[in-house]
Amino acid sequence: MTTTTAPPTRPTDGARIEVRNLTKRFGTFTAVDNLSFTVEPGRITGFLGPNGAGKTTTLRMLLGLVNPSSGAATIGGQDYHDITQPMSVVGSALEATNFHPGRTGRDHLRVLADTAGVGAPRVDEMLELVGIPAAARKRAGGYSMGMRQRLGLAAAMLGDPQVLILDEPANGLDPEGIRWLRGFLRHLSTQGKTILISSHMLQEVEQTVDDVVIISNGRLVKQGAMADLHGAPRALVRTTDHDALAGALRVADVTSTVEGDAIMVDTNDLRLIGDVALRAGLPIYELHRAMTDLEDVFFELTEGTNRNLGEGVTGVTGVTGVTGQGAATERDAIAGQEGGNE
Amino acid sequence: MTNAIKAEFRKFFTTRMWWGLAIAMFVAGAGLAVLFGFLFTQPQSAADAARGIPTGTPEQIANSVYTGGLQVGYLLTLVIGIMQIGSEYRHKTITSTFLGTPKRARVMGAKVVALLGIGAIYGLISLAGSIIAGAIVLSARGFEAFPTAGVFRTLALGLLVLGLWALIGLGAGILIPNQVAALLISVGVAWIIEPIAGVLLGLWDWGHDHIVPYLPTQASAAMVNGVTQGGDNAIQPLSWWAGALVLAAYAAVLAGFGSWRTVRSDIS
Ligand SMILES: Nc1ncnc2c1ncn2[C@@H]1O[C@H](COP(=O)(O)OP(=O)(O)OP(=O)(O)O)[C@@H](O)[C@H]1O
Ligand SMILES: [Mg+2]
Repeated sequence: MTTTTAPPTRPTDGARIEVRNLTKRFGTFTAVDNLSFTVEPGRITGFLGPNGAGKTTTLRMLLGLVNPSSGAATIGGQDYHDITQPMSVVGSALEATNFHPGRTGRDHLRVLADTAGVGAPRVDEMLELVGIPAAARKRAGGYSMGMRQRLGLAAAMLGDPQVLILDEPANGLDPEGIRWLRGFLRHLSTQGKTILISSHMLQEVEQTVDDVVIISNGRLVKQGAMADLHGAPRALVRTTDHDALAGALRVADVTSTVEGDAIMVDTNDLRLIGDVALRAGLPIYELHRAMTDLEDVFFELTEGTNRNLGEGVTGVTGVTGVTGQGAATERDAIAGQEGGNE
Repeated sequence: MTNAIKAEFRKFFTTRMWWGLAIAMFVAGAGLAVLFGFLFTQPQSAADAARGIPTGTPEQIANSVYTGGLQVGYLLTLVIGIMQIGSEYRHKTITSTFLGTPKRARVMGAKVVALLGIGAIYGLISLAGSIIAGAIVLSARGFEAFPTAGVFRTLALGLLVLGLWALIGLGAGILIPNQVAALLISVGVAWIIEPIAGVLLGLWDWGHDHIVPYLPTQASAAMVNGVTQGGDNAIQPLSWWAGALVLAAYAAVLAGFGSWRTVRSDIS
């Protein structure tokens, strides 16, 4: 479906995104540094990293807008430039995709529809789908961020593509909009589409994505399943005598550690813990699964001098392992700020 | 390619600019035809011609009247050419344009075709004004409205002039990244700097004979073969086809160099 010459391929082969040793230098500044990862069909992949990590630059290289300094990126095995009818293979909405303020949203889509070779009915169908059919008849100059996002999404969907690449799609959406987006993307991924969405906040996409690709200072720091990010399963228990419970659990072959006024148990089998406590005659005041806070995970992974926030000269070469006081305080400051939004 | 061309036309006709410019074209065409229709049909003596007052055959007079709005017209298509690419960079719609058509040379080719078409459409609008108004004035002054078939060649070449200036604008719009600066610089060069340069170069014998006729404004005027200045110091205009080649060369160099730059550059 991505090529007309190749024999029909299974969708799982046709729509994989592959990034291999991709590097982009702007002058002496390395924005993307030897980055490699793959994005699988039928899954939603979150492309994560702090501001200035190189996400947008990577996506722009993937979409043929920015020329890589070295390395390659392919979609379904093809360079974006070589895809015959790109909008019917890859739908994309980039952060900076803007609209002419004097043109209506609908006309913007109609221009793209001309390019994609689809007609006005498809345009109206997509506007209906993203929920802005009436607003799209007004000039785009007055659109809110959320409306721009929806219009961008409608544009991406015009050609009914197999691959969806969205840069910060949740940016500017209200909670209801984010929930809607989540359901929308989930629905598309069950159809076997390949979906790559970027974000600078792990929590924002936590409930949306299956896989994550995390970068920092232009380099890959982690690729894997979202579920694995939380680390080993643990549960938190509060009771009267933590040492007694720890002993009883040890008999049941479960390790645990006392932390402050609670005990952390290395399992997420709450039933087992309850049964052990009952047998030991210990009352339970609190019992729940404890997931490693994703925000912490994210900071841990992307820690280091953010090359974009001062002192950047040394940071240019990538993660230099600087975990000094400066990084920690900056980290805490941001954590506090963003925690407040939750 | 046809899809890309269609998209370029739609880009142009889905903003408010197009009808404002269309009205300006029509009014300029009609208004200037009336003005020149009166000026060039004044009785003239040989002395007038020697003083540098423009003169010509009935054909040249008709040409001048019908293409009176051309100077304003090609300024407007120059602006259209600049905006057709400049606004894409300014509003960053160039991103979605290149996402839809990643072979950028194809996009630039579509813009060239569309701008030639738009130039011709605006030319027809301008001619509609100037022919209606000009033919009435010429007839009223006792001149033949369409003295020779050559007039029709001029009208057709007038359309080409407008299209070629749009391509010059396309090139300028790429080479000067800031759209506002591109508009000011291009219009300033075409309307102020080039005419002044023409006068100054005209003082220098070699420049007078070998440079001035090749300036874009002079080449445009040569194409439509209007009235010419008499007197000793008059510029000898190129023949219409040489004028067309010269103007096409300007358009090709500017649009070509601009396209080459666009195809290679990063869009971020
Ligand atoms: N055209 C350019 N010229 C010079 N530097 C650039 C250019 N484009 C991007 N950069 C730099 O490359 C780095 C990565 O930018 P990029 O936009 O890819 O980050 P990002 O991960 O998308 O960040 P954000 O979360 O803020 O969107 C930044 O430091 C940016 O300043
Ligand atoms: Mg970005």
